[in-house]
Amino acid sequence: MISIRNVSLTYPNGVRALDNVTLEIAKGDFLFLVGSSGTGKSSLLKLLYHDAIPTHGEIVVDGIRVDKLRGARVASLRRHLGVIFQDFKLLNDKTVWENVAFAMHVTGAHTREIERQVPRTLDLVGLAHKSRMFPSELSGGEQQRTAIARAIVNNPKLLLCDEPTGNLDPENTAEIMDLLLRINTKGTTVVVATHNQSVVDRMRKRVVRLEDGRIFTDEERGFYYLGLGQGQVLSG
Amino acid sequence: MDWGKVKFFLGEVGRNFTRNAGMQATAIGTVAVTVVLLGLFLFVRLTLAGVGDRLLKQIEISVYFHTSATTAQENHLRDALRADRRVASFTFVPKAEGLKELRRQTQGSIDVSILTQNPLPDKFRVRVTDPSEVAAVADSLRGQPGVANVVYGKTIVGRLLQLGVVLRRISIVLIVALLFVASIIISNTIRLTVFARRREIAIMQLVGATATYVRMPFVCEGVLHGLIGSLVALAILGIGKAALWSKLALALPWLELNSAHVALAPIALQLLAVGIAIGALSSWFSIGRYLRT
Repeated sequence: MISIRNVSLTYPNGVRALDNVTLEIAKGDFLFLVGSSGTGKSSLLKLLYHDAIPTHGEIVVDGIRVDKLRGARVASLRRHLGVIFQDFKLLNDKTVWENVAFAMHVTGAHTREIERQVPRTLDLVGLAHKSRMFPSELSGGEQQRTAIARAIVNNPKLLLCDEPTGNLDPENTAEIMDLLLRINTKGTTVVVATHNQSVVDRMRKRVVRLEDGRIFTDEERGFYYLGLGQGQVLSG
Repeated sequence: MDWGKVKFFLGEVGRNFTRNAGMQATAIGTVAVTVVLLGLFLFVRLTLAGVGDRLLKQIEISVYFHTSATTAQENHLRDALRADRRVASFTFVPKAEGLKELRRQTQGSIDVSILTQNPLPDKFRVRVTDPSEVAAVADSLRGQPGVANVVYGKTIVGRLLQLGVVLRRISIVLIVALLFVASIIISNTIRLTVFARRREIAIMQLVGATATYVRMPFVCEGVLHGLIGSLVALAILGIGKAALWSKLALALPWLELNSAHVALAPIALQLLAVGIAIGALSSWFSIGRYLRT
């Protein structure tokens, strides 16, 4: 699904965000990207949805050389993947329904298709009853569920999540992670960048740890810290 | 036709337009002021050109015959004038008529009655359609048989024509400058509205909107600015004309101000088109810098 080969990313200000990263992610995978702030998690995600272009190396998402895309093809790529963020990035003057429908409008979807797909998606994230509300009238968890609905309404093969629970309390965090897991079991590949240790340790999925822009560890069914469960201390 | 799409698009334009009323008013006001200035300028230019044209149209070529010229020669010239497309009109002034004219013009300051015989030759008075061809027509008449002399206001024609050319050039430069300044001001105003919505633009692009898709509502908004601004300007110009036209005509009678001389409808349409174009182009370019990729 995703193939990142020898990718380096240096920002124009000289900061080296990623250093020769190589990573393969299989279709249907659920993967955590962990590491302390500033280690390149967000940068890696940005490369996948073409918000940044690698200085070196190549990136293939679902058979497409993402690093080579320009203009309208970038828009086309983004319609085939969903992205969610810590700050939700919802349009505040649009209702829940409109926010989700908007992602379909930009694809040129037919109104009938939109009217069929949006309620279905809102149902999936459990917001059907709040579809006429504005983001400011929702809790953080509900806002993030709206963002998830928007991200998956076009049935993407890949869902990228950048600190999806960073602004949420533990209860909402658990709900969001459950939702992501459900989306994953339907066949969507999910990549979650997080530094929420309890989330990672509870779910026991593949964990890739970045340190200083390099891949430090890569474990199937891993923990936030290499080989350690929650409550244990990393020594040395 | 998917009416849902049309409704959505119009909804987007309408929503953007009704929000941020102060900014919209600024953009519309800028267009209005520009179009008013442009309209005044076009009006002055057209009026001046009209005055110049009328002066030039009054220019006559006098074709004097030798006193020995025959009627056949005079008829030959009459035929030539009739056939010449550059000639708008001509009149034959026989010498007797010429003497009466002279009497009328001198009004007794010279006693014409002392003349024992009429010293004046027969002449043609010729007007041309296009003032720039006065010289050419005069030259072609000069060589005709029986013609003694061809006279027209050579200096005044030359100067008026020159003035016309210079005025036209200056006004083109001024119009371009005015449009340029207006575009910059409007772009900056619209840039502010775009800046206020940069987060929204980023989100639109994030969910896969193409640059064109993001641009269209903004450009439509610019068209609306242009349309409303121009209409406001036309209303101001219309009211101004109604209030001042007759006073101006009285104060400057030699301008021969007359609505018939200035075709206002085409000017109004031009101004409308210019206003809309300014609005649309300014929006198009203002949003460019917030569109990534």
